[in-house]
Amino acid sequence: MRTIGKLATETDVTTDTVRYYEKEGLLAPATKTVAGYRLYDEDAVRRLRFIRQAQQCGFSLSEIRELLTLKNSDAACCRDVKSVAIAKKLQLEHKIRALQTMSGALSGLIAICDDETRPLDECPILGALENSMARQSKGGKR
Amino acid sequence: MIKVDVFSSPGCGKCGQARTMLKAVAEELGADKVQWRDVNILEEMDYAVDLGVMVSPSIAIDGELVFASLPSAGKLRAELEKRLQQGHAA
Repeated sequence: MRTIGKLATETDVTTDTVRYYEKEGLLAPATKTVAGYRLYDEDAVRRLRFIRQAQQCGFSLSEIRELLTLKNSDAACCRDVKSVAIAKKLQLEHKIRALQTMSGALSGLIAICDDETRPLDECPILGALENSMARQSKGGKR
Repeated sequence: MIKVDVFSSPGCGKCGQARTMLKAVAEELGADKVQWRDVNILEEMDYAVDLGVMVSPSIAIDGELVFASLPSAGKLRAELEKRLQQGHAA
């Protein structure tokens, strides 16, 4: 058994993070001391590492909760987990696509600025953004 | 000719059975009218993203995401028949 501080050090997180995961229902102490201090077992270490790894793969806490439920469900199997992972990958690929579009739009804006010494009211980037806002609001009124 | 793309991952038993049932609907309408393609979503992720696929399994018809989960045989048949009629009318 280990205290919250030792658990945090062992899994490379802060004690606040451990408390936050507990508040979110992702983690629970195995027991408490007479004085009320939380004590964690080996399972908590494994669970915390699982949560951190899943976060690194882009899973949100609610998705991690779903994965943990699947992990402990007798009725679930590997393909259920795989379909959650595929859905997450699709979500990430869509995000990457959206970010690439944004990056492309920024490249276009950067390219139209050919003189960095111009005063702000002649800034072509700000001008282009303003024109695009005006076009969008006109389009929205139709 | 209507083009049906069914996005799923290999080894998904749940999809496998339902897919076979849906494929039979397409075959009943005729291979000259409906072209069926099983797409491995892991191999054609870019194509899936192009069509806006967010979950597996999903079905796209003529390059448009139509079902974000596997529909019943009746729903698929109705959709395909509607499109075939539209095609004849056009």
